[in-house]
Amino acid sequence: MIIAEQKPLDEILEMISGIEKLLILGCRGCVAVCSTGGDKEVGILASALRLGRKKAGKPIEIDEETYVRQCDPEYLEPLKEDGKKYDAVLSMACGVGVNFIADLCPEVNVLPALNTSFYGANLSSGEWAEMCAGCGACVLHLTGGLCPVARCAKSLSNGPCGGSVGGRCEINKDLPCIWHQICEKLTGRNQDQLLREIVPIRDWRPSGHGGPRRRIREDLLP
Amino acid sequence: MVNVELMSEQMNNNQQIGKITAFCCNYTASVATDTLREAGLIPESLDVKKLPCTGRIEVPALLDAFEQGAEAVFVAGCRADGCHNLSGSRRAEKRVGYTKKLLKELNIDPGRIEMFFVHCGETQPIVEAVREMTARISKLERLHST
Repeated sequence: MIIAEQKPLDEILEMISGIEKLLILGCRGCVAVCSTGGDKEVGILASALRLGRKKAGKPIEIDEETYVRQCDPEYLEPLKEDGKKYDAVLSMACGVGVNFIADLCPEVNVLPALNTSFYGANLSSGEWAEMCAGCGACVLHLTGGLCPVARCAKSLSNGPCGGSVGGRCEINKDLPCIWHQICEKLTGRNQDQLLREIVPIRDWRPSGHGGPRRRIREDLLP
Repeated sequence: MVNVELMSEQMNNNQQIGKITAFCCNYTASVATDTLREAGLIPESLDVKKLPCTGRIEVPALLDAFEQGAEAVFVAGCRADGCHNLSGSRRAEKRVGYTKKLLKELNIDPGRIEMFFVHCGETQPIVEAVREMTARISKLERLHST
């Protein structure tokens, strides 16, 4: 899922400094699952902003709403009209939601409440880790399912850098060296021939270096 | 034992410095507040909210208490090693901690909220909690105008 975290409150307060009527709009997609932008977080942010503005002597009127998703046009349809009632809409979706509101609801002043971080997994309650970089050219079949693009600090394609010690990454000792893990895993499975395969220099164009990406499935087009 | 004189003084102080909201566990702290209230030892300005377990408390409720005019908020739950629901008061402590972080980001003194742990049947920790929170907010500017 997409992992995000809330911007610092002072940054959000600065962003809404001239706003008198605000809609805080949550999303029940990824950001709700990673406890950043769902119903509960909308309530917390609304309370915090009301308190902050009251303390500053500039009370604010805040409405709260959460959509099923902010990355599908049908769910954003009501916002085209409803959004006009507010000086701004503070989206608690990932950057995709904010962009999509800006595209589909041009008369709505949409602002981001979150910093979108990475594609990650939920390690335990309250802890997430990056697992995928969305690079567009998956090599997991060669690496025992462990991604060297997202999980190696240097995104190396052909083995470890040589700086790891005791299986820990030299950039951050709290992180395992993913190439160490890939080697252990493939060797343990007698698949070490995969390690001898030389992966050519990566074509980064599918990763966004060729401009904004778009995917089309003809059979699903209207 | 509850010091009646000190509590009376506390009650007068509380009325001057504003509302304190207390979220109390039904099994421990609520019993203590009931006993103290029957004895006339709970200040009018102390707004006691009973919960089946302090683990039920959520951050929005803590912030809402401030929005509703509280100058200070405290949560009183079971001792961490003797929670009726095993980990309820520890969960509450974490949510109080998160609320402190939010208050700090808003430049509001995080000492305006605190977690207290109380044994079943004890009244003194509640008296001390009220006294402590009163002392803290008496040194601060009021959050809400009177």
